[in-house]
Amino acid sequence: MKDPYEILGIERTASPKDIQKAYRRLAKKLHPDLNPGNKGSEERFKEVAGAYDLLSDPDKRQRFDSGEIDASGAERPRQQYYKDFAAEAAAGHPYENRSGFADFAQADDIFAELLRRQARESRRARGADLHYRLSIEFLDAVNGTTKRLTLPEGGSLDVTIPHGIQEGQVLRLRGKGAPSIGEGEAGDALVEISVNPHRFFARHGDDIHIDLPVTIAEAVLGARIEAPTPTGSVILTVPKGSNTGTVLRLKGKGVPRRGGHGDELVKLKVMLPSEPNPELETFLTNWATGTSYDPRRDMQS
Amino acid sequence: MIISKLDFLDRAQLDRETLEVWIEEEWLVPSGTATEPAFSEADLARAKLIRDLRQDLGINDEGVGVILNLLDQVHGLRKALADMLQFVRERSVQSDAGSSMGQRQDRE
Repeated sequence: MKDPYEILGIERTASPKDIQKAYRRLAKKLHPDLNPGNKGSEERFKEVAGAYDLLSDPDKRQRFDSGEIDASGAERPRQQYYKDFAAEAAAGHPYENRSGFADFAQADDIFAELLRRQARESRRARGADLHYRLSIEFLDAVNGTTKRLTLPEGGSLDVTIPHGIQEGQVLRLRGKGAPSIGEGEAGDALVEISVNPHRFFARHGDDIHIDLPVTIAEAVLGARIEAPTPTGSVILTVPKGSNTGTVLRLKGKGVPRRGGHGDELVKLKVMLPSEPNPELETFLTNWATGTSYDPRRDMQS
Repeated sequence: MIISKLDFLDRAQLDRETLEVWIEEEWLVPSGTATEPAFSEADLARAKLIRDLRQDLGINDEGVGVILNLLDQVHGLRKALADMLQFVRERSVQSDAGSSMGQRQDRE
């Protein structure tokens, strides 16, 4: 371990001001960001910074002078320097500056051609894409609509929601993102759609599923009843002798898709009257065949 | 990868006003928008460099601007030189391959 006074090139009696002066003189020469590509200066700067850390703190300096701590106690952890990023950055990053050799690019050789090509590329770099989220109603997702998205930085964006859009789908609005730093195109706005669930419609692919309650009479005798669809109510024929779980298909009443529509699948659910009904009870007591069939036959093992 | 303004202030040990001045001076150019800037790890390292220049090296604000401008040019040059070397190396590999193939054909 080298002596910190030696590293900074000062006397043991140096004043705090002298220490700072010595450090600055060395740091100006050795700071890694002022010496990109010079590994040796980075190592030396670490030494110098470590020595300065120790000697610039009066308490630590006193303890070092009296032999309580050694010079190793004050080594700075390795910091990440800007040069490491500048070396890796892609063309067109905001700090890039190649004006230092613009005069070379006038010539007619390979180097000039290379420079011109890079300059074009970085000027043309696109602006950043901006990400947004937009939640829409179930029926708007099925039928399509236009929504106004209020942007956090002010202003708004009209988003055309195509019919049949799905949860998690991302709409790309060309040129609505951040502007380019150079002369390139603006980035895109990427709008992720989330669809709120509906009270009674559910979606499976392009089909709409719905559980539709019917009365015992409608199920047993058959009926024509109104069934809701995403585009409004339609008349549905319940065949005689339908049951809970019977599925009726309404062709073309599902989600619009390329070259047509999905279907709506209506699953019937037979509902008893909500209040106990003496008439029904009397009928069922006298209904002999009601006890002669076993709906749980398939469950016997 | 993206650092919010609050995290950035914390990790760079900066106060709000100072950061605003640095952005105004274009020492830092965060992406994102004016009200919601998005910082990168590179912006953070650059902020630490600016802090080193002003505090440890005692450089005044005018000097910081000059240094950053020259540094950006140095990095531009270094990259151009790296690209150039890459290009020359690729070319010489190609021409080596070409000449050895030519020799083989000669022998046949």
